[in-house]
Amino acid sequence: MKSVQFSVASRREGDAAIIYPKGYLNNLSGENLVIECGIYIGKGITKIVVNFSETDLINSIGISMLLQIIEDLKNIKGTICCTNMSKLLRDTFEMLGLMQHMLVFPVESDALTYLKTGKL
Amino acid sequence: MPFNAIPAEDFLNREPELNYLKGLSKLKANALGGDVFLDGARGMGKTELLKQLYRILFWENNVVPFYYSFKTANLKGTYFAQDYFTGFVRQYVSFVKKDPSLASHVAEPLQRLMPTISSLGLYWLIDCIEDFQGHVNKNDFYWQLVAAISAPVMAAQKMGKPVIVMLDDFDAAAHLYESSLGDAHGLISLFGESMRNRRCPHVITGSAGALESIFTDHSLIGMTERMRLGPLPEDLAVTLFRAHLTNLKITCAPGVQLEFLNILRGNPFYIKNLAKAAWKMQKNVINEKDLIECYSFEVSDGETAFYWASAFSRYVKNSAQRKAMLKLLMHAIENGGIEDGKRLSMVSGLGEAETETLLGALTTSGIIRAKDAVLQDFIHCLYMKEIEGRNANDAREKIEAKYIQKREESCFELVIPMSSNAELVVAKAVEQIGKNMNLDDEFLNYLQIALIEVCINAIEHSGSYEKKVFLKFITRPDKLEIIIENSGRPFSLESIKEVPVEEKMRLGMKRGWGYKLVHKIMDSVKVERVNDRTRVILTKNIDNGS
Repeated sequence: MKSVQFSVASRREGDAAIIYPKGYLNNLSGENLVIECGIYIGKGITKIVVNFSETDLINSIGISMLLQIIEDLKNIKGTICCTNMSKLLRDTFEMLGLMQHMLVFPVESDALTYLKTGKL
Repeated sequence: MPFNAIPAEDFLNREPELNYLKGLSKLKANALGGDVFLDGARGMGKTELLKQLYRILFWENNVVPFYYSFKTANLKGTYFAQDYFTGFVRQYVSFVKKDPSLASHVAEPLQRLMPTISSLGLYWLIDCIEDFQGHVNKNDFYWQLVAAISAPVMAAQKMGKPVIVMLDDFDAAAHLYESSLGDAHGLISLFGESMRNRRCPHVITGSAGALESIFTDHSLIGMTERMRLGPLPEDLAVTLFRAHLTNLKITCAPGVQLEFLNILRGNPFYIKNLAKAAWKMQKNVINEKDLIECYSFEVSDGETAFYWASAFSRYVKNSAQRKAMLKLLMHAIENGGIEDGKRLSMVSGLGEAETETLLGALTTSGIIRAKDAVLQDFIHCLYMKEIEGRNANDAREKIEAKYIQKREESCFELVIPMSSNAELVVAKAVEQIGKNMNLDDEFLNYLQIALIEVCINAIEHSGSYEKKVFLKFITRPDKLEIIIENSGRPFSLESIKEVPVEEKMRLGMKRGWGYKLVHKIMDSVKVERVNDRTRVILTKNIDNGS
């Protein structure tokens, strides 16, 4: 377990936004994540990639925030892709039955390729 | 009786107390000190300290020692007066003649001592005896008591030599009666006059709970200081135990640290009994496991068990009350104390008033408050035998198994504030504990998640004013147990509903994942309510192949 202060960075690539949550994903950081995604959704972006490569821990409140993003995108018929997830994160989402509500890719580039071409 | 003290070299770590008490008569003569109440847990050596003091004073010859132990059989005022008075006369004559045997001949009538008293020139003592006999002949209850209690003061005044009066189990004096129990409240205050005398310092022992109420009597208030007898330090406890073993011709196996002795918390009485148990069980060479075996015998059938059983008998009158007391004590052990309330009569099986009386007696005796692992094990044994109907061997084996298992476990405790990200401290702690146990990193990550969930649940939902979460990690070779406790709003697993993700999204319920995760990760999740606290017990079995 690393002790990294949570931060969230993002960038745009084409018609998709890529979000980089970093550190411990809990209530406060989860809200930042929702806000960051909300900014892109507000600008008409419907494809969001969340790159979890630097997320070391998550709690249930952080998960509920992620569910909020899934729901927001669902309402606008958008797509959420999750990439670079640790086994722990994947297993956690699996345990809670969240995996079927998101597209999961090993790395960010795979997700972007899929979003561009519609192919895996 | 006062001469059956243990050898001075085996009486450890009480020099400061002994020196202070030896100088008490000078302090009192100069109005710098008064009487002393020796306070300390049962078995801590209060009586032994009095006996050691007695022996020293007896041979030093500067202060006359008088020791009296209150007995249940002598609480009838006239019996007590006779016993106290004759005890004093015998011990006084024994002191002057420097013949300890005179103090021990309790059955010998005082008349037979008259020639000795005359030969010593103690004519005032003969007057004293005749005066006392006069009160007896006149059946004058009050003056018999006064004459007996004031005999040490009289002696100090006549001879100019201070008398230290040592009253063991003095709280029993509150129950002195004239014809039947409870018919003469307040006779204990007759000691007030004697205790105020500057030539007669008093050193008393007894239950602190009972004596606190006694010292509210205005004749006794304000002239007694409390001297607390604490436990022996760990190293001296080991030294004392080894000394007892040597006396019993038992040796310790090479390399034995006697770590198990810590359970006795430096109590000399328990230490002595454990050594004797080893002797009774015919141990010649003792190791840690033998100690546990001897201890189990001791709290089940040994002298310690007998001592506590006798102490219990003082507070209960019949078998129904005894069972009720055991249930209450077991309840207190399991719940870390006893709360007020009508529910306790359901525990005891007695009516509310009777339960209240029993609790009052247990509280006054100090038994219910004692954080004494030995007493708790004794209660557990007795509970198994008398309530659960198990036999003595079963009870012993259960205690033995508990400590053998404990030897293999280690325990860490942690308290975190209910503040932002405090759960990360717990996650960090469990990471290190896991590493100490050689658990693999992946498994540890899951454990961290489970713990984080329980902690944030406590932080978010308890509404606790205490604002603290208490955690205990118990590691065993095959199991990790984590106990998380917090005060505040009750919580139960039954209150959690399993809602599928789709339903959560449809209903806008995004929260409530925590315990689902915890259940998936841990092998067992239990939630208990203990007094005002919620206790969550998480267990994970360790596959030693992993």
